[in-house]
Amino acid sequence: MLDAFSRKAVSADSSGAFIGGGELASLKSFIADGNKRLDAVNAISGNAACIVSDAVAGICCENTGLTAPNGGVYTNRKMAACLRDGEIVLRYVSYALLAGDASVLQDRCLNGLRETYAALGVPTGSAARAVAIMKAAAGALITNTNSQAKKAAVTQGDCASLSSEAGSYFDQVISAIS
Amino acid sequence: MKSVITTVVGAADSASRFPSSSDMESVQGSIQRAAARLEAAEKLSQNYDGIAQRAVDAVYAQYPNGATGRQPRQCATEGKEKCKRDFVHYLRLINYCLVTGGTGPLDELAINGQKEVYKALSIDAGTYVAGFSQMRNDGCAPRDMSPQALTSYNQLLDYVINSLG
Repeated sequence: MLDAFSRKAVSADSSGAFIGGGELASLKSFIADGNKRLDAVNAISGNAACIVSDAVAGICCENTGLTAPNGGVYTNRKMAACLRDGEIVLRYVSYALLAGDASVLQDRCLNGLRETYAALGVPTGSAARAVAIMKAAAGALITNTNSQAKKAAVTQGDCASLSSEAGSYFDQVISAIS
Repeated sequence: MKSVITTVVGAADSASRFPSSSDMESVQGSIQRAAARLEAAEKLSQNYDGIAQRAVDAVYAQYPNGATGRQPRQCATEGKEKCKRDFVHYLRLINYCLVTGGTGPLDELAINGQKEVYKALSIDAGTYVAGFSQMRNDGCAPRDMSPQALTSYNQLLDYVINSLG
């Protein structure tokens, strides 16, 4: 598992170089925005249950076949498994956002997920749609632009880069399973 | 690779929980100290050559026959070059440790197996200690870097010296 800092060390070591000015500049901005990053992780972890259940309810509303007999989340057991998987994906995205690097998400969550879902007969299109809804919800929560925002004093547009970084991790999940 | 953030994430993952507020505090503490670490890393990346050269000079002042103690005099130049190469190698790993904020790079890329290698090559680890001790006393704040940065740098030199002891 790597973070934004050890990623630089690993890539510098492959060429035997010291880590100097150019590479350090991006780490300095990581440090400068450190509090924002922690707030963004907090926005996800604090609203995790809401993000996940909204996403799963969303795919069921959009595609009523899912809850019909032989559908992807027909029976409470499958629905519960779906909610659990949504929470796992969101948890690894929050780790990746905290670390500033996708390696934990890739190594511990996405590696082999497509094959697992194929073996279990999970409809990947619906799963990818649920992740896309989580992406939208997480992005809105990070930038505090969600429809029922907790009206904290947040400067608008402040966390746009973190929101798009989180979005890129969700995109990696979507491309890994579809 | 071990750092404060990866340790926190690993612990959260093994408990299957989202990052908690105490995890956030740990990461925040690491980030607060990171500015000094990165300053030390930057200064080290600019000045490593001189630092290594002064360490080599100190080693050969103390051990005129070189690290193996049985080096023919005509090989002294080659021995010094290898000695400097090794110090630059350690300084590069210290540079990585300063960036990552943990001792992972040193542990994984140098310290694991180091005693066995030096024993097999009949290299006296004391010669390295002589060089690193010179580096330990070489750094000066605020001439070279800020006091906080120098503390982080010296801490890692001490870590290397202890690993050789």
